[in-house]
Amino acid sequence: MKRLTVVLLGTLIALPATADEVDKQIDAAADGHVHVSNIAGEVTIAGWSRNEVAVTGELGRNVEELILERDGDRVTVKVKVPKRSGSGIESDLHIQVPEDSSIDVGTVSADISVTDVGGEQSLNSVSGDIDTEAGENDVSAESVSGDVEVNGQGKDAETRANTVSGDVTLFRVAGIVVAESVSGDSIVDEGSFSRASLNTVNGEIFFHAELRDGGKLQAETVNGDVDIEFDDRVSGRYDIDTFNGDIRNCYGPKAERTSKYTPGWELSFQEGSGNARVTVSTLNGDVSICDE
Amino acid sequence: MTEEFDDKLDRAARQLATEISPERDLWPDIAAAISTPQRSRWTPMFAQAAAVVLLIGASSFLTYVMVKDDRGPGVIIQPELVFEQASFGGNYHLGPGFQDARNGLRAELDVELDRLSPEARDDIQANLDLIHQAIVDINAVLEEEPDNMRLQQMLLQAYREELTLLRRVGGLTRNVMKRNDI
Repeated sequence: MKRLTVVLLGTLIALPATADEVDKQIDAAADGHVHVSNIAGEVTIAGWSRNEVAVTGELGRNVEELILERDGDRVTVKVKVPKRSGSGIESDLHIQVPEDSSIDVGTVSADISVTDVGGEQSLNSVSGDIDTEAGENDVSAESVSGDVEVNGQGKDAETRANTVSGDVTLFRVAGIVVAESVSGDSIVDEGSFSRASLNTVNGEIFFHAELRDGGKLQAETVNGDVDIEFDDRVSGRYDIDTFNGDIRNCYGPKAERTSKYTPGWELSFQEGSGNARVTVSTLNGDVSICDE
Repeated sequence: MTEEFDDKLDRAARQLATEISPERDLWPDIAAAISTPQRSRWTPMFAQAAAVVLLIGASSFLTYVMVKDDRGPGVIIQPELVFEQASFGGNYHLGPGFQDARNGLRAELDVELDRLSPEARDDIQANLDLIHQAIVDINAVLEEEPDNMRLQQMLLQAYREELTLLRRVGGLTRNVMKRNDI
């Protein structure tokens, strides 16, 4: 019996510590700023009607502590890990913040997901995906090797989304949009814009939305197709070219060859009397431009 | 015995002179030394500072020489960027300023790339290669049609894409990875 007890105790001591549950709250300003940092795992943020920041979830077994502190209108939520941290730091945080808060989130390999947050958002990850809802305040979402997705409500704001090796998908955002990917697609679906700038190096560009009177759309890719479908025909100046690709346009004159030495096409024309500006350029890819 | 010795010692001591005059008058030399400004201490301090700078410089150079081969492939500027003339259809060049900016960005990027995964590095390099190939292709056509404005614009676009990519990737990694809070 004694031997069995010793063996059991030894086994218990040898077992690694398991992840710690966390459940903390702190008072917060109704429209304050919430700063979140978590290296690995997951960060989920949701707005709620209380003036309180609440954090639940699990901390990795090697995490030193979860810092939850308030300094004036600013609340900090930070997973503190040892300086030479390695494994066991993956922490899943579910954070509820006052719905009018602005937020600033930084992760390395943790995915970021945001819902119902009305203030400005600045979301950064190295290899995590970012998925957020946009309200009427600006959103900036940057990932190095993750996908970025922003779902709006059609309210004017400035939305900037960047990724290197991932896709950027912006759905029903409005106002000003900048979508950039290096080796992924840049997609803008629905919404109404005064200015839209879409860029990829090796990916497709997709713009199915409204460009307002006097608005500007610029789409550039090195290697990829460009597919533009306006909700309504845009009155203004069009400049489209390809170095090696076709142009298919549902209105305006026919495209002309860029050069007899290259299979590219160019198309410049004025549609109506408006002063919108549509500039599209791809070096290797086809361009399609139509309206509904 | 002891008293007799003490008396002798007392007598000998009393015979000693109470004042000793120097062999010559030393005051004029002392006064001159006081009134003459002391030799500047800046010379040795400057020499010390110069020695420190020299030491640091030599040390840095030695360190550079020792580590330059160990910085990994990410830090080496790609040869194609060096030979690339940033030409404009063979008739024009975009100038040393452009080339400097480009190489500077590339060097910065390489430092940033070291922080990324091999897959991300390969991906970015593949995209740079893609842009370089486009530059080569457009340049080749511009050789045939040097005055084609549209091709010139495309070439500029390709160069701009390259700079934008370099800047964007560098900016992204800096923004995300240099946050001191994570």
